[in-house]
Amino acid sequence: MLGLAAISLVLASSVVIGVWGVRAARSTPDFLVASRSIVPGWNALAIAGEYVSAASVLGLAGLLVKNGVGAMWYAVGFTAGYVLVAALAAGPMRRSGAYTVPDFAEYRLGSPRIRRMCGLVVLVIMLLYLLPQFKAAGVVLELVSGIPYWIGVVGAGLVVSSTIAVGGMRSATYVQAFHYIVKLAFIAGPAVFLIALAEPAQREAALDPSADADWSRPLLDLDGSGHPLLATISVLVATTLGAMGLPHVVMRFHTVAGARAARRVAVSVIVLLSLFYLWPVVYGLLGRVTTPDPEETDVVPLLVPSAIAPGTVGAVLTALVAAGAFAAFLSTSSGLLLALAGGLSHDLFGGSLSRLRLGVVVGTALAVALSLPAADVDINVLVGWAFAVAASTFCPLLTLGIWWRGLTATGATAGLLVGAVTSTGAALASVVLGLEPGIVSVLLAQPALWTVPLAFTVMIAASRPGSVPDWASEAVLRLHVPGRYSSGDTGAIPRERRDNRVDAPGETG
Amino acid sequence: MNQRVRVTSPQTRLALRRRSDATRRLSRLAGLPQVGRSAIDLDDAERALRRQRRLAIRTATLLLFALAALLTAAVLTPGRLGWAVLFFAPYPVLLVLAAVHVRRAERIEAEYCEDD
Repeated sequence: MLGLAAISLVLASSVVIGVWGVRAARSTPDFLVASRSIVPGWNALAIAGEYVSAASVLGLAGLLVKNGVGAMWYAVGFTAGYVLVAALAAGPMRRSGAYTVPDFAEYRLGSPRIRRMCGLVVLVIMLLYLLPQFKAAGVVLELVSGIPYWIGVVGAGLVVSSTIAVGGMRSATYVQAFHYIVKLAFIAGPAVFLIALAEPAQREAALDPSADADWSRPLLDLDGSGHPLLATISVLVATTLGAMGLPHVVMRFHTVAGARAARRVAVSVIVLLSLFYLWPVVYGLLGRVTTPDPEETDVVPLLVPSAIAPGTVGAVLTALVAAGAFAAFLSTSSGLLLALAGGLSHDLFGGSLSRLRLGVVVGTALAVALSLPAADVDINVLVGWAFAVAASTFCPLLTLGIWWRGLTATGATAGLLVGAVTSTGAALASVVLGLEPGIVSVLLAQPALWTVPLAFTVMIAASRPGSVPDWASEAVLRLHVPGRYSSGDTGAIPRERRDNRVDAPGETG
Repeated sequence: MNQRVRVTSPQTRLALRRRSDATRRLSRLAGLPQVGRSAIDLDDAERALRRQRRLAIRTATLLLFALAALLTAAVLTPGRLGWAVLFFAPYPVLLVLAAVHVRRAERIEAEYCEDD
């Protein structure tokens, strides 16, 4: 009951902050990117708040207990992704003036068809990402209050969709920044207590790497395939490249003032993520000693406190962790739903505000319905697939679109198709076929290692040099020039009297 | 010089900007030249793109090497020290990579704005 009270408190504060943050969500740009007036510091907090999902708060520690310390490579990849975001995408994407990835695709490639296709890919990624969030909400509520899993999931869906449909991105920004702080405090605080409260023998055992050679090897082997190095590399590829292609992360960068700020926000996010990822380790290592064989690995962080300190102290700590986990669910799912709503209405159907709100409701319903049967799948496995799909589709699209003038609509379409089909197909096949553990099963369950290069190759090969439109060069160059074009970008305006320049009506020189 | 300047509220500017966004999108779809965009110097832009691209490739390559080195170090270091490499070492490395990139990218942008 204490846990339920803590969760209700987080929820109530989120609603209050959300309502306070609602300032006339009147038009689509207002709703989607808060009219681009959000301060960078808030934005970094909000991106981290949205990004530190149930996979980080619950899934990492659970996976660490189940599969070994190599689970932390997920955290490394999640963070490393922002190096690429800062280096490859943040600045130019902000200058493109597009609101979403599909918007960008249309800006760069000038084809409404590719916009719709990107909209579909957004749906796939978002659903794969939303499922585990709702699963987390369900298992947390079930554990702290005994509410049946499905009621928890449905209730969580109602709460999230109603707050988002009322407030849009502006309220989501402040709510998510608040959630980052809640998550960090409610995961780090109890962790410090747990380290202090644990008996010396428990601490000793938790830090003993000699217990189980397979478990303590710092590589990630998901189902004993015998190829841990391959699996680790593939997970690293997916998580590092996937972060760049996550539609809700990309969308966030449009809420800062300019390209410079967008890049700097990415660096701040790395700091915030690093601070957070120090703590799941504590729950994982202590969990292995105190709850070695849990029924549901994803709730390990909730089981550890009462295993170490039975009684009131344990109950209070459990309640705090539960509140932190629920905050993770709330912030990630609201960010995802906003991007999903964008994908559904703005990109697929042309978009008005009422459609966008409807998009939120439909997206929630879909995610809730799908997460009911997904109760047994590990959170990190599902999130890993979302990253793999993003890495195999939007990562090549953005990288090539931003840095290579030769990309054509045909090439991008072909690459997106191949990337989306192979990555989702491989993930599905690994579930449906139930192959013997081995190289093939690793490459199906963790497909990024081959699907990403494949998508890049197809995009490049299918872009025929002859069919590059004459405005493509200018479209790319504009992404790298400081100043004007995109609204709110505050760079210097280039002076007049140039030899080779294009004027406003856009004659390419 | 009596040039007339239209004074508008921030809300109006926002609304106008939105309308121009829509116009731009429509003209792109219709295959018409785009309206309402400012001039850019193509030679400067070309130089900026090349330098930024070199920098981006460099950072991505460094990231690849850094992750490979961390992976190797974690695997080869025995026992608790190997864990420590995995749990703590990656984050400062990643932060330095990103911070250095951003500083250099901003320097290129600054030069681009000043050297003309």
